[in-house]
Amino acid sequence: MSQNVSPAATPAVETRLVYAHGLAAIVTLLISVAFGILASIELLVPDLAGNPAWLSWGRLRYDHTQGIMLGWLGNAFFAFLYHAVPLLTGRPVTSARLGQWIFGLWNFAVVAPGWVLVLAGFSQPLEWAEFPMVVDVFVVIALALAIIQFLPPFFRRGLEDLYVSSWYVIGGLVFTLLAYPMGNFVPELVPGARGAAFSGLWIHDAVGLFVTPLALAIIYYVIPAATRRPIFSHFLSMLGFWLLFFLYPLNGTHHYIYSVIPMSAQIGAITASALLGVDVIIVVANLLLSLRGSGVFSRDVALRFAAMSTIFYLVVSIQGSVQAQMSVNQAVHFSDWVIGHSHLAMLGFATFAAAGGLAHVWQRIPWARYNARALDWSYWLLFAGVILMVTDLTVAGLVEARLWQSAAPWLDSVRAARPYWLIRTGSAIPIAAGFIALLLGLTTGPKGAGLQSVEQTIGLEPVREIAPRLAPAASEAS
Amino acid sequence: MSRDAGRFLRMSYVVASVAGVAFFVMSVALLGIWPGHVLEDETRTMSPEHPLGLTVSEQRGRVIYGREGCAYCHTQQIRYLHADMARFGSPTLAWETRFDYPHLWGTRRIGPDLAREGSTHSEDWHFAHLYAPRTLMADSVMPAYPSLFDGSPDRPRQEARDLVAYLDSLGRARELAGPEGEAHARTACQCPDDEMAQMAFHATALNANPARPRRQGAAPKLAPAGNLGRGQQLYAHNCASCHGARGEADGPGAAALHPRPANLAGHEYTVDRLGYVLWNGVAGTAMQAWRDLPTQDLAALARAVGGFYVAQQQPTVPVDLLDLGARVYKANCAQCHGDAGAGDGSAVGELRITPADFRGARPSVAESLRALRNGVEGTQMAPWTGRLSEAELSAVAYYVRGFYQERP
Repeated sequence: MSQNVSPAATPAVETRLVYAHGLAAIVTLLISVAFGILASIELLVPDLAGNPAWLSWGRLRYDHTQGIMLGWLGNAFFAFLYHAVPLLTGRPVTSARLGQWIFGLWNFAVVAPGWVLVLAGFSQPLEWAEFPMVVDVFVVIALALAIIQFLPPFFRRGLEDLYVSSWYVIGGLVFTLLAYPMGNFVPELVPGARGAAFSGLWIHDAVGLFVTPLALAIIYYVIPAATRRPIFSHFLSMLGFWLLFFLYPLNGTHHYIYSVIPMSAQIGAITASALLGVDVIIVVANLLLSLRGSGVFSRDVALRFAAMSTIFYLVVSIQGSVQAQMSVNQAVHFSDWVIGHSHLAMLGFATFAAAGGLAHVWQRIPWARYNARALDWSYWLLFAGVILMVTDLTVAGLVEARLWQSAAPWLDSVRAARPYWLIRTGSAIPIAAGFIALLLGLTTGPKGAGLQSVEQTIGLEPVREIAPRLAPAASEAS
Repeated sequence: MSRDAGRFLRMSYVVASVAGVAFFVMSVALLGIWPGHVLEDETRTMSPEHPLGLTVSEQRGRVIYGREGCAYCHTQQIRYLHADMARFGSPTLAWETRFDYPHLWGTRRIGPDLAREGSTHSEDWHFAHLYAPRTLMADSVMPAYPSLFDGSPDRPRQEARDLVAYLDSLGRARELAGPEGEAHARTACQCPDDEMAQMAFHATALNANPARPRRQGAAPKLAPAGNLGRGQQLYAHNCASCHGARGEADGPGAAALHPRPANLAGHEYTVDRLGYVLWNGVAGTAMQAWRDLPTQDLAALARAVGGFYVAQQQPTVPVDLLDLGARVYKANCAQCHGDAGAGDGSAVGELRITPADFRGARPSVAESLRALRNGVEGTQMAPWTGRLSEAELSAVAYYVRGFYQERP
């Protein structure tokens, strides 16, 4: 298949769109993190700034999660796709003009107005779907346009022997478009417990069909591109991919265990959750085996982010499989344990993948500034912050769970959580510093320094020639 | 052969893609649509014939509840677990959520579940709590919502009224269905062997929110010598915000409550009376019930509360003063407070708040005089200064002390 992707024919990457989405990702990230930090401070100082309505905890919480998912991860994924899709397919994306539209819609019809509307009191009280429905319409439009933008190159190339990242891209975009309305529109039409069943599906699909596939697309791309070695096993890649897409959607109901939703549906979701853990072991084993020789703490910071993301993915998924089990769930559900879990997923796994993806594509924009030292700081600060925060919240969850099982008054559990919440807010210091360092890493430093750092860490080789090496199937199949 | 196999493998993505879409559709069908049908069926068969929906005001309150993210700290979903039931009451049945567009189940509890919040706290408590939560619970982390008020908890805007109306509606439909409704649902459930489903019905004692006040009900006998240290700690954490650190009804939350919290330092309580109030709350007031606390904690609390009363030198009261008091009481007070001072007069049925029971709580003379002169705001106890002379007021204040019955 390698004749399909001759290095000479490697199409130009729309680097301006990569850059625009990358910067938008970091700007929205910093704003979303500010929402999160404010919300965490309000748990310690509830009467912050005289309690103006727009600064109230609930609204900050809505903007925090929606900003992280759509603003930060959405933009980071788009930035990566503009770089990776042409290199994976040997064909340009559909249209640079369309790209400007998607960029505008995503940031100025979805993220920015979504934030403002939530602060102004227009929102939707559904998890991972808090932006009001008028914004959801633009999300669906933008996702449809993204499919038009990114998928035709794959079809023009032909779907045989696609590298696994391509599959994750295709699957992620298509299934997100399918799943999004389910969490954002259906519960408005179907009441109560019935609506909750659909909500549960979306809560998991938002992570499983949007965040996870695109984050894995990045990891699967960055590891071979940075190590210059094919992935360990294309077979395991594909097995992991398809199992993921079979199992992820079936997990949703595990958010409502011991509820009135039929027990057989709960048991089904719990079983799927356990099986998903098995699948993640396959995926992660394949990725870690591909890292042989480079180690988890590579000198290339992009690769290091991707490698640590892989580890976080393993831990968070095994944790997810365990906490979906009834005996564990009945205790830790509703507690800070789950908040720790979701931060391990979004801040550990997904954010590290996205940061690695951004650093990787930045290295390959010849005119972009690149500050390797700042990125190095970013990595270690975020690493420390995530570990501190997740450990802290996990312990907090266990403390709360224990008090809830006892006869202690409810407020005792709030009182007991306070020191942990203080540490959690403290963990915002390394995390916020890490994100500022990420911003500096991609906006300061000499132009073209990214490429130099690639040469220093993994040897000189024209970056354009990496593309065909990404498809190990080409050699396996022949 | 091997070439065919290779070709087949290369084309396997077609099969896998179809399977991928099929699995997604299956997830929607098995975890969305099918449970939806089961739940719809359950709703239809188990629901009372005409379940009460929300009023217009309550619906507006529900929108505010959603807008402010209340569901992100307060679930409305009591699970089929004993720990949940002990704190919040019966597990949520499908039909109870039939008017929830969209559902507000929530996935995190920083505050307690609110599925059975209705009638648990009084309106004045809700207003004070929404306006400044930490005046009522010093360690609460709930956001304050002063923007729903015109500068004070006594001046709620329509939005605050709507929100409180909504909060007070939570769990109401199930309650109004009554024992007949429960029996109907239980029969319709057709699940005598399903242990979990039965949990929703068999725990009648747990049916109500354990924090919910009730007008009457048995209370457990408390041991007279509770653990004082534990009691003081419980008091400081759960009671002092309203009743004051020394029980003098001067906590930060006291001013916004109507009636004001009881002046614990101004009354001598029997352990039984304290046990009764702790167990049942005081219906119509902000005093919630504490049935979720273990009885040894209640006994400890009773011990701590009993310690606030400073025994005073008992002046010898002339007999003719007591006679005057008796006449005044019989003519003016007995209708509500009862002939024997038990708070069970013939007019009690007309009153929103049960009158003071002097057998279990002996007010100091100063405390009685305060109530007689000023009335008790928020209750039907009016000021008596216009009707009774100073001598009569004093006489009755001394007289009611005689009803007190220390436990034998």
